[in-house]
Amino acid sequence: MSAVPQEVPGANASAGAAAGAIVQATQLSKWYGQVSGLNDVTATIPGGITGLLGPNGAGKSTFMKLMTGQLKPSKGSIAVFGEAIWGNPSVYSRIGFCPEQDAFYDRMTGLEWVTALVRLNGYSETEAVAAAKRALDQVDLIEAAGKKIGAYSKGMRQRVKMAQALVHDPALLILDEPLTGMDPLMRRRTIRLIKDWARAGKHIIVSSHILHEIESMTSNILLINNGRILAEGNVHAIRDLIDTHPHTVFVRGADPRALARRFLADDDLLSLRFEPGAVIIETAKPDAFYARLTDLAATGEAGSIDEVTSPDDNLQAVFRYLVKQ
Amino acid sequence: MNGALPTASTHLSFWTASRRVFDLSLGEMLWSRRTIFMALVVGGPVILAIVVRVLEMFGMPALRLNGQRVGGVGVFGVVIWMLFLRFIIPILGVFYGTALMADEVEDKTITYLFTRPVPRGAVLVGKYLAYLACTGLVVLPSVMLVYFLLVRVNEIAGTFVQLLTDLALLALGLAVYGAVFAFVGAFFKRPLIIGLVFIGGWEQTVMALPGYMKRFTVAYYLQALVPHAMPTEGVVSLLQGMFRDTPPIAVSLTWLTVYVILFLYLAARTVERKEYVLEQ
Amino acid sequence: MPIHDQGYRRYLGSRAAVGRGWLVITKAGIRTVLAKRSFIGLMLLAWAPFVVRAVQIYIAANFAQAASFLAPKAETFREYLGQQGIFVFFVTIYIGAGLIANDRRANALQVYLSKPLTRAEYVAGKFAILFLFLVAVTWVPAILLLIIQILFAGSFTFFRENIFLLPAITLFSLVQVLVATMTMLALSSMSKSSRFVGVMYAGLIFFTTALFNAIRGITGLTSFAWISPTETLEQLGNLIFRLPPAFDMSPIIAVIAIVTLIAGSAWILERRVRGIEVVQ
Repeated sequence: MSAVPQEVPGANASAGAAAGAIVQATQLSKWYGQVSGLNDVTATIPGGITGLLGPNGAGKSTFMKLMTGQLKPSKGSIAVFGEAIWGNPSVYSRIGFCPEQDAFYDRMTGLEWVTALVRLNGYSETEAVAAAKRALDQVDLIEAAGKKIGAYSKGMRQRVKMAQALVHDPALLILDEPLTGMDPLMRRRTIRLIKDWARAGKHIIVSSHILHEIESMTSNILLINNGRILAEGNVHAIRDLIDTHPHTVFVRGADPRALARRFLADDDLLSLRFEPGAVIIETAKPDAFYARLTDLAATGEAGSIDEVTSPDDNLQAVFRYLVKQ
Repeated sequence: MNGALPTASTHLSFWTASRRVFDLSLGEMLWSRRTIFMALVVGGPVILAIVVRVLEMFGMPALRLNGQRVGGVGVFGVVIWMLFLRFIIPILGVFYGTALMADEVEDKTITYLFTRPVPRGAVLVGKYLAYLACTGLVVLPSVMLVYFLLVRVNEIAGTFVQLLTDLALLALGLAVYGAVFAFVGAFFKRPLIIGLVFIGGWEQTVMALPGYMKRFTVAYYLQALVPHAMPTEGVVSLLQGMFRDTPPIAVSLTWLTVYVILFLYLAARTVERKEYVLEQ
Repeated sequence: MPIHDQGYRRYLGSRAAVGRGWLVITKAGIRTVLAKRSFIGLMLLAWAPFVVRAVQIYIAANFAQAASFLAPKAETFREYLGQQGIFVFFVTIYIGAGLIANDRRANALQVYLSKPLTRAEYVAGKFAILFLFLVAVTWVPAILLLIIQILFAGSFTFFRENIFLLPAITLFSLVQVLVATMTMLALSSMSKSSRFVGVMYAGLIFFTTALFNAIRGITGLTSFAWISPTETLEQLGNLIFRLPPAFDMSPIIAVIAIVTLIAGSAWILERRVRGIEVVQ
């Protein structure tokens, strides 16, 4: 059975441009000489926050560079806001890009650098300075705005990069590994910031290979590996569709053996094992199972049920299953 | 978002965009290691001028040029020929021109410029203008310093126009070589080697040969504009002097202008169409 | 059935003695360079003059009419090594510019020096890479020409009459290669950009030559040839090959200039090749 779902709720799998699609890739391929960076990718990225996920070398950065017009497609097409982006600089007024590389004009201060870049968006000197200060304030860098970028820490450099991406208030933010080099506190704040931007109406595409970070930002994902799209859409829906892999449920209760006896009566049970104080079951029909579990919890027939979790109803599990295909 | 500030970008014209890239690049270029190196290079003629002046004060043997005794102006002419025109201007053109985009690619800062709503060609032109300003700010004062060190006070009035001609000539040389090597830098993979072969090999060789091949050099037209006598030392410059055919000034100026426009256009066109793959 | 341990296993094989680390660097560097097709092209081009000279020697040995003007002399070998100077220049820039600069850019110096490898071994390894390739375009073809002369002539007469050629070729090649290698390594250790290093090296060579030519043009004196490493090598070369001196410069001054350049380069290397960099 194919690992790529035939039908993905919440996403438009057709080749044509979808209404409301921010980025539309149609049979997009990119080769670097003999090496394939991206291979026949057809995908639609809708509004909101979309996570672009894949291991190192999967093609995320290539896809982002194609999206931001830094590379020209070898084959196929890519459109941002309905317009082809390669050789079309006017689209950049609606895009803010935060690249992965740690590269700056080290001699400039954060404020000078962001101001100089936003001037290229048509801002006057006064407007540019004001916009730069505002952007730096958003990323908590306003106090270090007068310091040379060369003296910034890794996390500060990452934040000033984000500042230059959002300084001109773009409709679409494309962030390539934005949390690299940040400490855990700053990561949380940045994730909150990204969600705030999305709530304010921006569309955001975030790439990462750190799954739980993407999961904390969005459930709308694009999984990529070896230059191909593995899956796109809502992570839970994708998980549900991967019906070759059973759903694992962890149930902690007062009487695990009584729970086990009840579960064994069901014909969709695939496997069952015990852990101290808990039972772990694999089921082919998670919806039916959860319904029965709810009844059990309500009646208390098999003792109290203290905890129910699904270790693989998350991105990590989805990715693991799909990448192994 | 703060609604009090403008949130929509204004579309910039090509020249406005170039000017803004110029603003961004000039500071970076002026304070780079490259400029320190350039300052050392243009410091050489200044030191030479000081040494010659000091030796003159201590009564050294008369200076001779092509067997003729010369004064400070003659020596200044030699410096313009031997150092500035034949070496400093072409070398600066190679060093800066080939690096206009290459520096940004190597430093991986090109992404920031290419993801702004400005044409890529405007980025190249803006950086070219910054190169002109940067080299002009360092070279031209050096020439003036050499002039005032070498030329005697009583000769200044009569030769000041010559100085202005030399300054304009050198600025034009910077503009032309810069444009040529901006294209070389944008188009070729190893532009530095190609640039050095062009100025050290091609130009030197064809200028020493009879025929029309000289027209495929910058030096042919540039040297036609030099008001000073050409010194002959060594076989190469002797040959160049023998086979020197000087085009009219108007023709030289026209061709040099054509070179600037043509090569800048080609460079901008190349940059618009080229993919820059940054090393990971 | 015994269960085999799939975990980490310590290396139990033999290890090279401490002090041979430089050889690893050299071998890796040579392999990297030889993988580039453009470099192979450059080397083939560098051997083209050898082919021309070999043909000359063959014709002189087999055709009596040609022997009078094509017969090899001591000057032939001196000229050959002088002409190879241009290839020394390009090979030095091609291979040498990134030798240490690329390691500095990738922060690899810390990695190297955290191994049981001294700074001297690191520099020796890098030195050997450039040294070997430069020897391959100077000493090797020159000695081969000598051997070819003996083979084509069918006697040792020429060799016996010019027995000094063997040590002369060796000594001059050594000096030529040592100067290029040490200078380039020193410059490479000063920057993180291999392109900028190439620029500095080319600038140094061209600028000093231009400065000397300007001084010669102004004063008519050639005693300032020590300013230019190229001209100083020219003077030393003539001295080593027992030919009339090219310039009016004492051989002692030429030697001092070369030794100072090499020593200065060594000093720069000692200061710059470090595992840590203190940023003020």
